[in-house]
Amino acid sequence: MVYPGSFKKLVEVLCRFPGVGPKTAQRLAFYLLGLSRDDVVAIARAMVEAKDKLGFCPLCGCLSELDSCSYCNDAGRDQSILLIVQEARDVLVMERTGQYRGLYHVLHGALSPLDGIGPEELKLDRLEKRIAEKEVSEVIIATNPNVEGDATAGYLARLLKPYSVRVTRIAFGLPVGGDIEYADDLTLSRALDGRREM
Amino acid sequence: MKERIFAAEGLIIRTRVLGEADRIVTLLTREEGKFEAVARGARKTKSKLAAGVDIFAHGRFTFHRGRTWPIVTSLDPIERFNWFRDNPDLYPYGLYLAELTDRFNSGEESCPEMFQLLLDGWQLLGGDVDHALLCRAFELKLANCGGYSPQMHFCTVCGCEVSLLFSPKQGGMVCSRCSATDAVKITAGTLALAKHLIEIPMAKVTKLRAGAEQKSELAGLTASFFAYHLDLGDLKTRRLLPE
Ligand SMILES: [Zn+2]
Ligand SMILES: [Zn+2]
Repeated sequence: MVYPGSFKKLVEVLCRFPGVGPKTAQRLAFYLLGLSRDDVVAIARAMVEAKDKLGFCPLCGCLSELDSCSYCNDAGRDQSILLIVQEARDVLVMERTGQYRGLYHVLHGALSPLDGIGPEELKLDRLEKRIAEKEVSEVIIATNPNVEGDATAGYLARLLKPYSVRVTRIAFGLPVGGDIEYADDLTLSRALDGRREM
Repeated sequence: MKERIFAAEGLIIRTRVLGEADRIVTLLTREEGKFEAVARGARKTKSKLAAGVDIFAHGRFTFHRGRTWPIVTSLDPIERFNWFRDNPDLYPYGLYLAELTDRFNSGEESCPEMFQLLLDGWQLLGGDVDHALLCRAFELKLANCGGYSPQMHFCTVCGCEVSLLFSPKQGGMVCSRCSATDAVKITAGTLALAKHLIEIPMAKVTKLRAGAEQKSELAGLTASFFAYHLDLGDLKTRRLLPE
């Protein structure tokens, strides 16, 4: 197949997006070509602007505007609660619930010795410093419910013991909309552990 | 010609993410050796596979031979060694045994002894056992599976029986006349401990206790031996062990 040079280049670039193969890239390329020049410029500009203006907040690790973190600097948020997550994208998921009004702390990973990630790599001293210096009364650990995430949660709970702070783990239960019959035993036993009064 | 569908009893010794929701797992199996397989959708919260295709899982798996990797189609969980996820002290030990096994085992040749060794190791770490001694026993027995066991009973060079020098390069104990430059003196107690660990079955390690000096001498001995013979110098998990 012979493509015009700049089309080929565009497809190659689009292929670098996660989950995008050559076919999808081609479709996206044709989509872009179908847009007006202004629309294409707007898309390109949004990408560059995001890249220039966004970063991870040095205090909480959330994705934020470089000059001011929209979480840390929000006076309406409860400064006494910290929710710990593995990835910055987990914050967006939590925000979607609209239920949580405290602050965040993003680890950018989990304890994974096989990948050379230990407590130092997760910069846990920063978390400790934050808890020691700010008025934090509760820490909610929301690392992933897999071995890595659970081990990390256990490690954090022990690390934070000396600080007078309540440490909780978010509850894990049955996925909403499914039948109990299809749940695996570990999920079910956790759902039982996390049961609540009605 | 290999069957399209096959089953094996396996231990998951490593996992990594693939794409949006899949997970690639490295399995050490009793029947088929070590290989990688894909667990499709294993990172979705509704996945039925998720809990059973994580590291430390022991189960009976069935696979469909895919184009690149075998695909996990179903599994029957046997054990999950939950102490590794619940106890942050045990977690690095469990991973250390996994990494050592992974690095030691190069391919698909099946080695049921190695499978059993790892199974025993993970099992015993959950009980009352000296973690360091268990790791040393595991290292020595793993070396034995590969036919690399260090010679501890007499001088590796001349065969005489009076030797308290250990030479990684010469593959075990040497006497003072035959010693190479890398030979280090070890105490009679450490030598006896090493011999004992090689001989006894894993389950018996739970009864053993040893002094700190012996343990650190033995740790140095196995580390130098592995580093020289097996090029295992750079074990990521070892630096996170509390020893
Ligand atoms: Zn912030
Ligand atoms: Zn000799």
